[in-house]
Amino acid sequence: MSRQSFDYATEAFEFIGRLDRLPGVDDVIDEMARSFTLFGFENFIITGLPGLRERFDQVVLLKKWPLGWFEIYVKEDFVRVDPVIRLCRNTVQPFEWSEAPFDREKEPRSAEVMDRATDFRMKDGFCLPIHGINGYEACFSMSGVDLDLSSRTKPALHLMAMYAFERARQILKPLPHRGADLLTPRERETLMWAAAGKSAAVTGEILGITERTVTAHIVSACQKLDATNKTQAVARAMQYKLIRV
Amino acid sequence: MTCIHVVTQENRALYEESLQQFHRLRHQIFVEERGWNDLRQSDGLEVDAYDNEHAIYLLAIDAGRVVGGQRLYPTLMPHMISEVFSGLAPRGIPQAADIFEWTRYFVVKERRTGRTDCRLLAAMQEFCLEEGISEVTAVVEMWWLPRWQQAGFKVRPLGLPQMIEGQPCIAAAIEISQASLEYVRKLAGLRGASLIREGLSSPHAQQVPHVAA
Repeated sequence: MSRQSFDYATEAFEFIGRLDRLPGVDDVIDEMARSFTLFGFENFIITGLPGLRERFDQVVLLKKWPLGWFEIYVKEDFVRVDPVIRLCRNTVQPFEWSEAPFDREKEPRSAEVMDRATDFRMKDGFCLPIHGINGYEACFSMSGVDLDLSSRTKPALHLMAMYAFERARQILKPLPHRGADLLTPRERETLMWAAAGKSAAVTGEILGITERTVTAHIVSACQKLDATNKTQAVARAMQYKLIRV
Repeated sequence: MTCIHVVTQENRALYEESLQQFHRLRHQIFVEERGWNDLRQSDGLEVDAYDNEHAIYLLAIDAGRVVGGQRLYPTLMPHMISEVFSGLAPRGIPQAADIFEWTRYFVVKERRTGRTDCRLLAAMQEFCLEEGISEVTAVVEMWWLPRWQQAGFKVRPLGLPQMIEGQPCIAAAIEISQASLEYVRKLAGLRGASLIREGLSSPHAQQVPHVAA
């Protein structure tokens, strides 16, 4: 493939223009597959993060992943140990998979997910965190074996990924409804761990944030739910179906 | 209750104290928090060349306290994209009487839970609709793009993202529409008009001189 000859910027803008005319999520996936192949990407996924009792497959927005790998990933619950996912929720900047840190000795499960992914031609990757009005929204991750990933191609991929996400979101969730976005993902998460009987300190360890930050999320959730304490906030959040436990 | 106040050359005398807060917050947020060191001022007030008689401010004020702000500026005048960031817009710089540049958007730290953002975004659309403005242009960090889109804004990139101060940034044009206004209002559960035009003959933009760039 003569990669030097193709114009990233033109491809990106044309891709964005084509997205608007695509009626279904499958059409978006086909269009993404065609365009991302030009950069060497073979697989991609856009996903939210599962809450405490949610399964990974319930929060995936769209994907083009090898079927065998998706089954393993769900069965092994790799989403909880995947270093790419962990970095994605803690940064606003795009990053390469190789930049997502983990300790091979102390975190053998993290090493396992990265190693086994290569069996499915997911050797290197590029990950783009997506933040909405209420903070962390979704993770866009794409991968392959021979990637054209440089300071020249990344801006085009970044822009294309944000518009692909938006088109998929529009198709899947056409109208906002009041209340659904009342709590941020972090506020929901901390309330779910509270509902599971975890203290703020333990919740902080689980989520990789400080106890103080956990408390701040819970306080903010209390204000939004007009609750006087954590217990009432959990009860209200369940009553309004904002969290599931 | 937070309201959005329109402040222009015509009524700024009524808002001297709020504008003072606004410039101090801009310094705190853009210089101290986000590290745009070129804007640093010894008096702690961030004021630039576009804070002049043509600037229109939409300030979020709650019980006398400024909690967010944004600025609109005519694109027929030399403006930031034409003077400073033209490299971000290789697809062409939109300049017309009904296109304004949208800059210095912020929400104070403790109000960054979504609702004040939606209020400010709705106010921008509402003000532009009332003034016959059809499009605004802006330079933002890329992570803002999905937030705008989530708020129902139709965003057209003017070029690919480029690194500015270590952050990928993009220049974009945003369509002004009733549909976008209604979408963002619904998202945040805001009801009806929220703009306060104290001491203003309206609409305003017709009084802005249409100076050739």
